[in-house]
Amino acid sequence: MGGLTAALLIWALLLPKGGSGEAWPIHTACKDSSLEVLYQSCDPLQDFGFSIDQCSKDLKPNLSIRLGLILRENIKELFLDIALLTKGSSILNFSYPICEGDHPKFSFCGRSKGEQLYYVGPVNNPGLLVPEGEYQVLLELYDENRSTVACANATVICS
Amino acid sequence: MGPMMAPSVSCLLLAVLFSAGCKVITSSDQMCTEKEANKIYNCEYLGLSKIPDILPNTTEVLEFGFNFLPAIQNTTFSRLINLIFLDLTRCQINWLHEDTFQSHHQLNTIVLTGNPLIFMAETSLNGPKSLKHLFLTQTGISDLEFIPVHNLENLESLHLGSNHITSIEFPTNFPTQNLKILDFQNNAIHYLTRKDMDSLKPATNLSLNLNSNDIKGIEPGAFHSKIFQNLNFGGTFDLSVILKGLQNSTIQSLWLGTFEDKEDQDLSPAILQGLCEMSVESINLQQHHFSDFSSATFQCFTQLQELDLTATHLKELPSGIKGMNSLKKLVLNVNNFDQLCEISAASFPSLTHLYIKGNRKKLDLGAGCLERLENLQKLDLSHNGIEASDCCNLQLKNLPHLQCLNLSYNEPLGLQSQAFKESPRLELLDLAFTHLHVNVPQSPFQNLQLLQVLNLSYCLLDTSNHHLLAGLPNLRHLNLQGNRFQDGSIPKTNLLQTVGSLEILILASCDLLSIDQQAFHGLEKMCHVDLSHNSLTGDSISALSHLKGIYLNLAANNICIVSLHVLPTLSQQSTINLSHNPLDCTCSNIHFLTWFKENLHKLEGLEETMCANPPPLKGVKLSDVKLSCGITAVGIFFLIVFLFLFTILLVFLIKFLLRWKYQHI
Repeated sequence: MGGLTAALLIWALLLPKGGSGEAWPIHTACKDSSLEVLYQSCDPLQDFGFSIDQCSKDLKPNLSIRLGLILRENIKELFLDIALLTKGSSILNFSYPICEGDHPKFSFCGRSKGEQLYYVGPVNNPGLLVPEGEYQVLLELYDENRSTVACANATVICS
Repeated sequence: MGPMMAPSVSCLLLAVLFSAGCKVITSSDQMCTEKEANKIYNCEYLGLSKIPDILPNTTEVLEFGFNFLPAIQNTTFSRLINLIFLDLTRCQINWLHEDTFQSHHQLNTIVLTGNPLIFMAETSLNGPKSLKHLFLTQTGISDLEFIPVHNLENLESLHLGSNHITSIEFPTNFPTQNLKILDFQNNAIHYLTRKDMDSLKPATNLSLNLNSNDIKGIEPGAFHSKIFQNLNFGGTFDLSVILKGLQNSTIQSLWLGTFEDKEDQDLSPAILQGLCEMSVESINLQQHHFSDFSSATFQCFTQLQELDLTATHLKELPSGIKGMNSLKKLVLNVNNFDQLCEISAASFPSLTHLYIKGNRKKLDLGAGCLERLENLQKLDLSHNGIEASDCCNLQLKNLPHLQCLNLSYNEPLGLQSQAFKESPRLELLDLAFTHLHVNVPQSPFQNLQLLQVLNLSYCLLDTSNHHLLAGLPNLRHLNLQGNRFQDGSIPKTNLLQTVGSLEILILASCDLLSIDQQAFHGLEKMCHVDLSHNSLTGDSISALSHLKGIYLNLAANNICIVSLHVLPTLSQQSTINLSHNPLDCTCSNIHFLTWFKENLHKLEGLEETMCANPPPLKGVKLSDVKLSCGITAVGIFFLIVFLFLFTILLVFLIKFLLRWKYQHI
């Protein structure tokens, strides 16, 4: 009987994880005494690497970031959706074009599916003083057919 | 301990076997998706290390990216001899062995993007009779000699982006005569020599992409009397090098823009002087800064037909630019103008296309700023924060040939009757997401005799104004998405009655609860009606009873029961979408359910057309529902026949029994 229980237990442990697959690890995008940014890829097919150069609750304009991922789609057209929440209620939603056929803003626009993309450079953000608290940020990069290029669940902790 | 151990071990073995069995099941669950039967298949991200047996031999298009094929050889795809398009993106391919595509005569596109290629055998691309497109993007190539040249005579496009290439000089035996697209973006090419360019001599009308290479030098004469369709030097730091280097060349379209992540040098009139020495039809200078911006900046632009100055930090264009009579298309998107007159439109009298969208400041249209552009056919003023209480005759004065006008995504505009009198030849007018103030009973679009397409989505219209759409005799396509109707219903008399020529009508997301049976009378030519994302019930379908063969979208409404009398109306249409409705799958809806089964070929979105009621059938696809309801007429007939036969049988039986009994007395 004990053997059977053990076997069932082992079986349950060995079973491939169902449907949603196992979650990607949580990474730290940046951390200092007052601000911490954690993120986790919500694309079931792949993880990606991301870091922010300066971390401070007094966010400087035009921050420099590093981003590494494998492109799942051609990015002649690429859009970013950001949803900002705190304590489960939505504060801000916006959508921003990064690459458009008639206006490729960044030098990586036009790269193709399957390419490994590594970007170091500015993101052209406005300056911002982050109020204390914990925020959830959902970021999604997608192409003109709304196919996911990257997806991140981020947590911003400001103290 | 010993006897206890044995069953545990066997159980463990059993468990491992079980879990292995599970893995096989899951991997066979995730199989290639069929996009077109026997022809098009997608097998991406399945971790496959060979071509699955379930793919038919007739497969023509195969998307096989993100799998695992360390080496490919003549047995790898040998079964699929009809392949036309083969995508092997990021399959961890190291080796392309001899004769891999030997039997694939029809193959015309091979995608090898993102594979760490170590070696391609001399005959690895032999076989295809007309190989036209080869993608070798990010495959680690540093030398063009790496590409086997044997079967490339028909090649039309070669993609070599994101490699380690430093020179574009092709080997002498490389057949370039049919090349139309040559993509070298994001390599390490810093110099272009005469020899490099001469190796491309056989190619005619070539499009050469050198985006993100940072060219530092071009040998004088390298481009002498060369002809190009497109040349892209995007992100180059020093444009004077390019413009000097391109002397005496003929280029249809020259892309010299830069990017937010690239440093750039200010463009001075001296740098742009180089343009005088070449023939260019279309030029893009997006995202550059200009220094000493004056009419002299444009002195070498006189032959230009198209000029794109997107996001070039412009506050105004200098007045008094001379000689730009040939410019047909001007793009001034994402700049910093305060007023439309600051573009000094009079300098470009031949302009047919003008794009000023996404201005970084609120744009004031002023008065008559474009009145000298008599030939203008297309004008895009979207996303500009434009606000006007009385639009648009003063603002868009004298545009007699204007055909397309885009004023979408602006601030509120007040429109009076005949608001577009100055552009009577308009064929397309886009006002989406711009709040419109129109007083009843004004008709702002009156006299747009040629208008065919009108987009009024999310304009917050006063739909009770029955004259709103008056005077549009040729309107074919009307989008009213996101506008509201009084009490959520379209009455018998409504604003649509004046547009009898309508073919396409979009009334999605209008919060509609009902449509009067007579509401669309007079609209006899309609062939496409979109009523999705409202709260309509089955009864509203009768408003379409006079229409035949239309595309009808009723997705995401509140349709539960579709009564018998509206089924003929549905039957006479060509395509119907009923997905995302709370459809009733009980016997009270049996007529509709039967009709649904019989008309599956006409229905769109079957995967999302599901039952909401009764609870046990909730979420079940309507096409899968089998319902037997009560006793039908046929059932009653058979029941009566059965009872009749049973009675006769019983009588005979009793008779027989009685006889048998009496015989034995």
